[in-house]
Amino acid sequence: MNNNLTENQMQRLTDILKFFVLLVCGVVLMAPFIWMVSVGFDRTANISMPFPPRLIPQELSGFNYGIVFENGRLIQSYINSGIVTISSVLIGVSASLMAGYAFSKGNFKGKKLLFIIVLCTLMIPMEPRLIPLYTLFNSVDLLNTFWPLILPPIINGMLIFLCKQFFDQLPDTLREAAQIDGAGEFRIFFKVYLPLAGPIAATMVILAFIWSWNDFMWPLVVLNSQELHTVPLYLASFSLENGTSLGGLTMALATVSILPIIVLYLFLQRYIIQSIALSGVKG
Amino acid sequence: MNGNQAETQPNHEQEHQLVSPVNHSRREPQKGFAKKVTKKRSKSGSIWYVFLTPALLGILLFMVYPIFESLRLSFFQSNGTNETFIGLANFKTVLTSGPFWNSVWNTFYIGIFQILITIPLGFIFASLINSTPKGQNFFKVVYFLPNVTSIVAAAMIFAFVLHPEMGIVNYVLDSLGLPTPGWLSDPNTSKWGVILLSVWHWIGFVIIICLANLQAISPEMYEAARIDGAGRFQQWLFITIPNMTSTFAFLLITGWIGALQRFNEVYVLGGPTGSPARSIQTMGAFIYERGFTGMEFGIASAATYIMFIIILIFTFINLKVSNMKL
Repeated sequence: MNNNLTENQMQRLTDILKFFVLLVCGVVLMAPFIWMVSVGFDRTANISMPFPPRLIPQELSGFNYGIVFENGRLIQSYINSGIVTISSVLIGVSASLMAGYAFSKGNFKGKKLLFIIVLCTLMIPMEPRLIPLYTLFNSVDLLNTFWPLILPPIINGMLIFLCKQFFDQLPDTLREAAQIDGAGEFRIFFKVYLPLAGPIAATMVILAFIWSWNDFMWPLVVLNSQELHTVPLYLASFSLENGTSLGGLTMALATVSILPIIVLYLFLQRYIIQSIALSGVKG
Repeated sequence: MNGNQAETQPNHEQEHQLVSPVNHSRREPQKGFAKKVTKKRSKSGSIWYVFLTPALLGILLFMVYPIFESLRLSFFQSNGTNETFIGLANFKTVLTSGPFWNSVWNTFYIGIFQILITIPLGFIFASLINSTPKGQNFFKVVYFLPNVTSIVAAAMIFAFVLHPEMGIVNYVLDSLGLPTPGWLSDPNTSKWGVILLSVWHWIGFVIIICLANLQAISPEMYEAARIDGAGRFQQWLFITIPNMTSTFAFLLITGWIGALQRFNEVYVLGGPTGSPARSIQTMGAFIYERGFTGMEFGIASAATYIMFIIILIFTFINLKVSNMKL
């Protein structure tokens, strides 16, 4: 009896220890964020970075944020990122839903081979495609527009794969019933299966949104004029121009730039974590 | 397959011999029906290509064409407007170029340590989170947060976090009486600055994938082990870890593919040349430097093909090592 009790106590002790270790490591992981917010709100950080580092601003003020917004380029880059992300997500998710459905329920020549080709696209990185895509969009005079960012996401092997997996789980009997009622393939897709695809569509939107919003290399190559820069491009150019000389301003800018995705994450964290896990576990 | 045919064929003959005319006539319409069905199928089959048109167009235009065009370009001296065929000269230039091999070295150095640190550490955190009775969801949210922030913003923050004089890391090291390295300002330690950043950014992903797979291990195995008297740590060592090998393989492969393509954070921290002293220029940055600041499309294309081949070889080795089936 006595032995049992100590065992229970031991268990409780290790649980508390685990919780404590996780908490400390979590704070360490969050420290850059906390410091970023604090420096951004510190009026004195604009002259020189506060040292020793403190987590509470010496002179609390929205000065840095005022400058960041006054500049106007940040808001412009927000609008640009919004246009690019929304259009590319729409086009990528719709194309992947249709393709995933066809690979799941379709019956046509070359289905297996085409699906293998789709899976192979997962292995092809951006780099070998960079220059040809650049010259391709150059030849149709679309560099320095949003089109090169909106069109290529139409093919996304990961989204097609996830979508096919999802439709595989839906029964074929739905199709058969609709066919008996005389519905064509498009009608069956739009009226029967698409309304059931809400969960996977949400997952796809989340993944495509994060990929597109955070994309950097390809926008850097195709967008030369500053007015078209997306948020990551504006950040990078600001960082390369100023280095670590404008501490308060840089940190305020970084805070504002990640705010939309952090807010989105905090509201949808369950779905976002699920989506990432799904794309990872099954990919 | 062959054996099956050999088995069925004699059966057919037997049937033909035994089948009465009545049976035979019954067969005829059946054949006709089968024909009709296949006809209907192929007719409705073509409609599926309509569903696939956007994706297939995308594959042709944005995947297949660029891959072959890149291969073609790698045999030309090209700046986008003028092209001259020069055979394998670009490959020779790249393979004998010091900065290229330096970028390969940097890419692998950062990648190896990022993976060696993040996968075990992430797995340990995932195990801790999985077995802690309180606050699982809270920890999931906190640990995954760095991964959703853009790597560009993260790099910007880390330029300050790792600043030799004003950064928090060196402040903490100094107050513990430890040496304070120059991190990103010193070519000897700048790679470790990038490694720290990439571990911080990637660990959330590793944790989430590990957690999802930890929860998929059947509880019966643990129960059986408990009955056999295994302690919690023994269960972790002998049941959890062996059951996670395919997860580790997945993380190893995706980690390598990502590491070999590293560009964004090193560009923000060191520009296209990966300063200081090219110490953090990765393969991706080398390609960007030659292709888009030097407009040497041929050389950049040759470099991308070499990089592409390195990625394929590495993915293949990883698949073999981890015994994963494609």
